[in-house]
Amino acid sequence: MASFLVRNGLILVVLVLVPVFVGEFWAYQLGLYFLYALAAMGVGLAWGQAGILPLGQGMFVALAAYLAAYGLLGFGSSPLAYLIIPAACIAVALFGFAFAVTIFRGRSEQGPSFSLITLALTLAAFQVATTWSSVTGGFNGLRNISGLPGLDGFLDLYYLIAVVLALAIAAVDYLVRAPIGALWRAVADNERRLAFLGYDVAALKAAAFAVACGLAGLAGALYAPQQNLVTPDLAGFAFSGDLVIFAAAGGRTAVLGPAIGAIVVGALSAELRDRFPWWEIVIALFFIVVVLRLPAGLMTLFARLKRLSIARSPAPRPSRAPDKPRIAAPLSVAFDEVRVRMGDVTILDGLSVRTGDEAVLCVIGPNGAGKTSALNVMTGALPKRGGRIVIDGVDVPRPRPAAVARSGVGRKFQTPSVFQKLTIDENLAIALWAGRWRGLDLLRPSLFGWTTPLLDEMRRRFGFLRSGAKPASDLSHGERQILELTMALVTEPRLLLLDEPCAGLSHEETAAVIDAIQWARHELNLRIIIIEHDMELVRRLADRVVVLHQGRFLADGSVEEVQGNPDVRAVYVGGSR
Amino acid sequence: MESLVVTQAINVAYEVLILAALVLGLAVVMGLLNVLNIAHGEFVMLGSYTAYLVQKAGLPYLAAVPAAAVVCGAIGVVVERFLIRPLRYDPFETLLATWGLGLLLRKLVELGFGRGYRSVDIPISGSINIFGEAYPTYRLVLMVVSAVVLVALFVWYLRAPTGARIRAMVGNPVLAEAVGIRTRQLARNTFVAGTAWAGVAGVMIAPLTPVEPFMGLTLIVNSFFALVVGGMGTVTGLFAGSAIIGGLQSVLTAAVSPTTAYLAMLVLSILFLWQRPRGLFPRP
Repeated sequence: MASFLVRNGLILVVLVLVPVFVGEFWAYQLGLYFLYALAAMGVGLAWGQAGILPLGQGMFVALAAYLAAYGLLGFGSSPLAYLIIPAACIAVALFGFAFAVTIFRGRSEQGPSFSLITLALTLAAFQVATTWSSVTGGFNGLRNISGLPGLDGFLDLYYLIAVVLALAIAAVDYLVRAPIGALWRAVADNERRLAFLGYDVAALKAAAFAVACGLAGLAGALYAPQQNLVTPDLAGFAFSGDLVIFAAAGGRTAVLGPAIGAIVVGALSAELRDRFPWWEIVIALFFIVVVLRLPAGLMTLFARLKRLSIARSPAPRPSRAPDKPRIAAPLSVAFDEVRVRMGDVTILDGLSVRTGDEAVLCVIGPNGAGKTSALNVMTGALPKRGGRIVIDGVDVPRPRPAAVARSGVGRKFQTPSVFQKLTIDENLAIALWAGRWRGLDLLRPSLFGWTTPLLDEMRRRFGFLRSGAKPASDLSHGERQILELTMALVTEPRLLLLDEPCAGLSHEETAAVIDAIQWARHELNLRIIIIEHDMELVRRLADRVVVLHQGRFLADGSVEEVQGNPDVRAVYVGGSR
Repeated sequence: MESLVVTQAINVAYEVLILAALVLGLAVVMGLLNVLNIAHGEFVMLGSYTAYLVQKAGLPYLAAVPAAAVVCGAIGVVVERFLIRPLRYDPFETLLATWGLGLLLRKLVELGFGRGYRSVDIPISGSINIFGEAYPTYRLVLMVVSAVVLVALFVWYLRAPTGARIRAMVGNPVLAEAVGIRTRQLARNTFVAGTAWAGVAGVMIAPLTPVEPFMGLTLIVNSFFALVVGGMGTVTGLFAGSAIIGGLQSVLTAAVSPTTAYLAMLVLSILFLWQRPRGLFPRP
């Protein structure tokens, strides 16, 4: 916390002292680039943290600028005019959130589709703004907008903008270090894993976008009194493109990157554009180099100042995480004539199977039997074409990953699915927060210190989990398997789905994992469904075995019963039934 | 009244066919290779400038066709080698890189030719009577050329061995490589074919539109959203998208105003991107 205050206090002092060194004219110019910096920081936050690239932020700047212009006309010299700035910022942020959550809701695919929607939206906004001249002033825009009351000259407004920018930098700095920042980076890294932990991914993404829009709104609201002019050009394609270039050139992953990009590129462009016709070609080339080779942009030069980017803050004091409200009884699942088809291929062909009294149910069957697909359809990763799935006594017509996870189902995928770019600690913390955070918890850095007895025990059993600052991408395949298993366990599910949990593990690791699974099952009184080919593991863990074949139920019983079953033998060894 | 309907019908057909010709190169690059080439409009722009230079040099207009194909194809080779391939043909990354490329090409052309409009003379003047209505011959020629090229290309794509190889590569690149298809060269050739055709399309439209450095922007918007609506990677998708976007533009421009037509297209595209991001007829 102390370092946070020092760092951002320093930034504030530097910004306020600038006019002493550069003179009043440059202070006026810089004020404008500071506004660009605000909007570019929003682009950086959405793109560099959450992985959503907004291509139309100019529209939100323009919206706030017009709101502020009319507000300033209305309030005149009343001090109430200052309310315009937060009001425009909040209005634009709320609009951004509503828009983004509508788009993101119900779809999990990442990709350029959202970016293209924002692009189309800003193209439309520009067209509307130029046509609707009675409101927007058409091509010439609204002129002679009065300044903010009580501020005389460029310098006064410069100080206001400098303070707003410093506060915005501090706010973004705080957010990216807070739990919500870790969740945004998790969204960019592995959206599916996050949904299967029970997080509302659409809301998280929309929140990042809303912050970006809020920053664009601040920029727009201050633009009106700074320039005394608002034109539809703000909503144009070119300005939105410039903001992306600022963020990329400065370095989208760092807090200060986009701001530095906007100030450096903006100021250099203004100086050099007219004198040096090649200038914009240099910018275009630099942008291409950034995309190809230099994701950190100009911030690469400041690698030593890495603490200004998203440094891993020192680990907070460990504290006991709040208990998860949890029903102690295991969760039951029943499939009734479930059908799944993909194109022409029938994957599940009327599968009927249900959990019983057993604690550990092993599902076996040849490749293509539909084992993983059964888990997928139950957790909402595959659409079903018929039949009923009853989870915990409730018929779920359209399962959704996050909703199924929240009802108490934990899942470990066949190929380990963790947040590769995050540290081990962050991976575990995100799993631990799921279902435990309340209200504004995601803004409290102390959440990084949360732990539970179960997590402590897993850290004791698997030593590598204790070197928490290591990125998950540095782990071996086996370690990633164990990390994901631990993440699934710390959510304290009532039903744990394990898809080949020991694939690729060494003999010792397998033994340790089996031991941990046995322990956790008694500790949490949970039900486990395991898909496994390794009959040794099945023999050690299974209370009951279910055999699937060609998308249908084939047989069930104890390991011996199943092994003795002639149908099962026929499927595995061939021969007549 | 009847003649007005005929003229309108021809106009709509013209808009649709021209749009289809413009979309074709992008459909190849975006639909088959998943490269979101935002700079596609700039390739068309370069084709138009090539046509302008060829005409200014006093050469026959037809000479602009191979010239533009060579210019844009050569740039395509460089772009594929140094931009698209290093980014592993990733849609999102190539969208960004070609965004920068478009900026670069616009600025280079602006530096070379200035910002002003250049006009290219219509190579075939005169008009032909259709049901008693005079229609410019050059436009009719363009419609025929566009239709013939589209049909020929699709027949080739579905019948020729190279077409089969491309389809194999698109369906499963790893397997295609395993059965001996040289996917790297094939992808490069496909990309270059797309940019070269963009140059030819630029030659086709140059006499009918003001030639200027920023002309690519409007073209890419229409072509891009035609593909979004129609669906990527299928012949039906290309035709459906061009027909819907081109038809909508042309009818609404005539009936209401160009602004309304443009807004309607954007709204339609937003709806598609949101609810049906794979378009009407996507590749299975």
